[in-house]
Amino acid sequence: MKKPLRYAIIGSGAAGTEAACQLRLRDPESEITVITASKLQFISRYDLPRVFEGVDDWRELLVYPPEFYEDNRITVRRNTWVAGVNPRENKLNFRHKEEMSYDKLLVASGGGGYMPEALREFLPYMNPFSTFSNAARLRDSLGKKGKVLMLGSDMVGLDLARYLTSAGHDVTVYANELLFWPHEIKPEDTAPYVKALETMGIKVVFGRKPVAVEPVNSSSKAGKYTRRLVFEKGKAELANVVMPFYGLMPALDFMIGANVDIERGLLVNPELKTTNDRIWAAGDVCQIWSPEENRYSFYYGWNNVKEMGHLAAHNMTGDNREIKTAQTNELKITKKGELHSPYWEHD
Amino acid sequence: MTNIGAPVYLEEKLEEISRSGRLDYRSKSLPTWCPGCGYFSIVESVTAALNRLEIDPCETTVVSGIGCASRFPFFVNTYGVHSLHGRALPVATGIKVAKEDQTVIVVGGDGDAFAIGGAHIPHAARRNIDITYILFDNGIYGLTKGQASPTSVLGFKTGTSPFGNQDRPLNPLMMLLSHGASWVGQAYAGNPGHLSEMICQAIAHRGFSYLHVLSPCVTFDKTTKTYKNLGMMVRGLPDDHDQSDVMAAMHEAQKTEQPALGLFYTENRPTLGDGLNEISRRSQAGS
Amino acid sequence: MANRPQILTDMQVSFCGSAGDGTIAAGDIFKRAMAEAGYQIIAFDVYPPEIRGFGKCIARTRVTFDQVYSLKPQSDVLLSLDDSHAIPHVGEVRDYGAVIYEDRPMATVEEGEHMSGHLKPAQLPYGVSFRELSERATSGARFRNIVAVGFIAGLYGLPRDLFHRTIGRKFAGKPAEVTESNIAAFDLGYDDGAKTFQVDINGFGPPPKRKKSEKVLMMHGNSAVARGCLSAKIDTFFGYPITPATSIMEILAKEMPKRGGRLLQTEDEISAVAAIVGAGFTGSRSATSTSGPGLALMTEVMGLGSIAEVPCVIFVSQRGGPSTGMPTKTEQSDLNLAVRGVAGDAQRIVLAPTNVEGCFKCAGIAFEIAEKYQTPVIVLLDLYLSNRYEAVALPNKNPFKLDATKWAKKPGKGDAYQRYKLTPDFISPRAIPGQQGMQHTITGLEHNELGRPNDQPAMHEAMSHKRHEKLKTAINYPNLTTSKRFGDKGRVRVGVLSWGSTFGECLEAMITVRKQGITCSAMKVVMISPLPVDEISRFMDDCDVVLVPELNYEGQFASIVMGTLGRPVHRLNRVTGTPMAVNDIIEEIQILAADKPKRRKAAE
Repeated sequence: MKKPLRYAIIGSGAAGTEAACQLRLRDPESEITVITASKLQFISRYDLPRVFEGVDDWRELLVYPPEFYEDNRITVRRNTWVAGVNPRENKLNFRHKEEMSYDKLLVASGGGGYMPEALREFLPYMNPFSTFSNAARLRDSLGKKGKVLMLGSDMVGLDLARYLTSAGHDVTVYANELLFWPHEIKPEDTAPYVKALETMGIKVVFGRKPVAVEPVNSSSKAGKYTRRLVFEKGKAELANVVMPFYGLMPALDFMIGANVDIERGLLVNPELKTTNDRIWAAGDVCQIWSPEENRYSFYYGWNNVKEMGHLAAHNMTGDNREIKTAQTNELKITKKGELHSPYWEHD
Repeated sequence: MTNIGAPVYLEEKLEEISRSGRLDYRSKSLPTWCPGCGYFSIVESVTAALNRLEIDPCETTVVSGIGCASRFPFFVNTYGVHSLHGRALPVATGIKVAKEDQTVIVVGGDGDAFAIGGAHIPHAARRNIDITYILFDNGIYGLTKGQASPTSVLGFKTGTSPFGNQDRPLNPLMMLLSHGASWVGQAYAGNPGHLSEMICQAIAHRGFSYLHVLSPCVTFDKTTKTYKNLGMMVRGLPDDHDQSDVMAAMHEAQKTEQPALGLFYTENRPTLGDGLNEISRRSQAGS
Repeated sequence: MANRPQILTDMQVSFCGSAGDGTIAAGDIFKRAMAEAGYQIIAFDVYPPEIRGFGKCIARTRVTFDQVYSLKPQSDVLLSLDDSHAIPHVGEVRDYGAVIYEDRPMATVEEGEHMSGHLKPAQLPYGVSFRELSERATSGARFRNIVAVGFIAGLYGLPRDLFHRTIGRKFAGKPAEVTESNIAAFDLGYDDGAKTFQVDINGFGPPPKRKKSEKVLMMHGNSAVARGCLSAKIDTFFGYPITPATSIMEILAKEMPKRGGRLLQTEDEISAVAAIVGAGFTGSRSATSTSGPGLALMTEVMGLGSIAEVPCVIFVSQRGGPSTGMPTKTEQSDLNLAVRGVAGDAQRIVLAPTNVEGCFKCAGIAFEIAEKYQTPVIVLLDLYLSNRYEAVALPNKNPFKLDATKWAKKPGKGDAYQRYKLTPDFISPRAIPGQQGMQHTITGLEHNELGRPNDQPAMHEAMSHKRHEKLKTAINYPNLTTSKRFGDKGRVRVGVLSWGSTFGECLEAMITVRKQGITCSAMKVVMISPLPVDEISRFMDDCDVVLVPELNYEGQFASIVMGTLGRPVHRLNRVTGTPMAVNDIIEEIQILAADKPKRRKAAE
């Protein structure tokens, strides 16, 4: 009997999970291991705002119940960090000093929030928003009618902002030119979209550059607020939480030394294969070669990410299909005058 | 040393015994031993010794195991435990630990002590528990009607050694001396005066006293440890024997062809009871 | 999380690692702190027979609000201090329970040997840097276990100072640095746990409030036995070390001298039991403790105790047998030996407590019964009960009678004291050394009323009758629960008849099947000999079928019940060396309940 192939997938998000499902369908005998830093099984980022609608138990947010992984023999190694990839021996090195062999590897580690160098030291006082625990902590910090200051912002942040405002919180965005990233809107064209945001109750402030985030004692005259956002020239604003949204940065540190080409993301051909024959990539982590445009580009959005996972699995199991974008990039304003982005859509 | 002395008249003797108070120590049961058994004189000597030491019968417990000698408690009017084969010493240990003010005397035979009960002797001796162990050594199992014992002589023909006993006899005195008994002596049932004196001393000793009594079995041993043979063999300890010198005591104990009668060795050291009291004191001081 | 509904605490936490990891110590601190907080506790440690080295240890603690009776088949939290030992146990963690493990091991881990690769999809992982935190707190890795306890306490928001107190007490008497290092390690673990977002679906609610008239102490079965002995004012103890009974002797060795008691380590078990017969003869409250192999050696002397009518108490903690068997595994296979192991016809009293509190009660009352009925009394535990911890509410007032003896009056002049006098209640008035005019000799020979050897037919019949009949009356001894029925009253589909440590599992099983709609009662039998036949018979009358679960191959208790009552029972036997799985009992009950009930004859 042939030895079953071992597939390793780094990342349990939309791309990684979709790939795992497809791999199981296409190679029933194989061993499939998904590696994720998350403690929980796959929860869609798009479902996290449901926490503000009263969802208290993360189990309600699981995309697939635990039995799904059991039934499909998909091992999800959670709370696990890949420290490096050894392309000569086809092994992953975990941070906890264990190796794991693979025959084929899919990197679907997604993107983490990008943070400008100058603000990195203030990370402990800012609230990220990519996991259930982030969402739960945000909800607990806000209480009722909380105040949120968003830095930079992007379509991920604005997605959250619209949920927060409709949940009764006060959201102010200190915007820069990338306010609508990854939509590419020229600065002179932003006005209607900003107006649409204000229609939705989201305040947008341009031209103020945050330089520091500090904790404040909530028992002092700061009232219920626990954070102070300091701007250039010393002005400051108090709030419950400060959240950074400066776009996504592919999570790729562990791929350094893996003998694959990296620019901002992991460079793949249209079939999503890297420069290593056994390694593919999918999702927000990869930069895909476009022969038409003669450049590498990112394909964001739920549908794109899912499609990449799907395609990568098929190509890892013998197909040679090329990726086509699965969604538009058009930012719209609805009849109600509100903003709508295809990046806010998901299953 | 022989048991031949002045003539004894029965009436005078009974009168003397009655006046002495020794009868308080005798039970109404008559010993069941064979006529002429050496053990009779041991009962006499024990009761005489208790009387002389003025120990109340109710303050005395005699403990025995199983064997001819072990019937002993039934014949004295003290408290008594007729226990199991080989277990007299641990029973006595329990009694003495529980009731320090009881005078505890253990009696038993050579099989009871050195065969089945052998494991207990070293520990009673090393703990220096304040009891008196009177060992009746006749070199035979009498109650089961004549089989070899751990002190039977080589070549002795018995029911279980029809071709002669092949196992070297033990040397109980050497054993007790090396186990750390704090009083080790030897007497002979054929010399009741000396026996009585030795029993007296053994009971009076504070600590574990071991008295080895050579005592013929008139029924099942007609050839080896008879009155006649033993009477010819026994001797006294040398006049200059140092009772505090354990090496000298062992030297004398080695001379098994001519068993010496008397006190081989004695020392004063804390008893088990002293040790337990000390533990109690320290634990209470510490708490 | 905010606004969680009040939790009714039922958390089972298992620490698993090797002997050198401080696994048992971690479990100990955890359970002691929880008991001090006022929770109900059941805890049981499993450890290897080797003294040192890398054998597997598991310390399981179930912390509850309500009284429970056994460990759960599944734990809520598994904390691994050594993945090679803990990985085989990861299946014991329930869905949405937590698995906590070392995330920054010192050395390289072989592929497939790290815990993170072994969790079931519904279990929740927590990788914690035990080693690094320990090194940071104390510049050494050996406080990983304490970091681990701290992490759990922090994660679940348990009071920090409670653990500080427990740690302080555990290391009292050691140099101050030891406590300081432990507290420092605990605190770093606690902080790490407190800032970790809890994802497992677990939690501790407030502990129950306790009555003022009782003090709650956490103790294992052996220490409850020792406490029972001390409350009953034990005078003397003679014993020989043997697993798993030794700790009874060790506790008493420390405590008895403070109270004027005396304890002696004897040269063997025969000597120990002979000494308690000797001590018992003098009126001393005396006991020994042993396990199966020691009990086997003791049977001859116990026969002496029966015929000579001497009070004494023998604590027996069973382990896997026969012979040396499995010294660190539990089993209930010495029942035959305890009840019947003797030369000749000698019944004895055998009490088998079913929980730690019962160990205390049985231990104390054993002295009363031994005195009252002038006979050896065996209190039968097993390793599981000896070593399992429970929070026990002890009454502030001493519940034991300090003299239960029927004393003799001094006989008139010329009359001899009759030690074995035949009386209507079969109990002969006693006298003890030191009492004037009552001198007598007790003996292992058959004897007359005076205690003189006598083997006449009528005498042996009369004395045998006396010795057996007096024990039967012990069933009615006041303040002694000989048996008790729990669960459904009246007619039931299945009755579970149980003894010893397994009763806790039976009770849990009974509670579960009742929720499933099966009518069920469970009866514990504490007095195994003489058997309370009337109560058992009434219980059996009410049951369509009777199940007897026990940890031995043959069904020793089932055989006793069937032999004594002449009524059928179903046996459920396991000899895994571990406590019986509640699920096994549940399954058996379900199978029995599914069978068509036999039509009971109208005459019955």
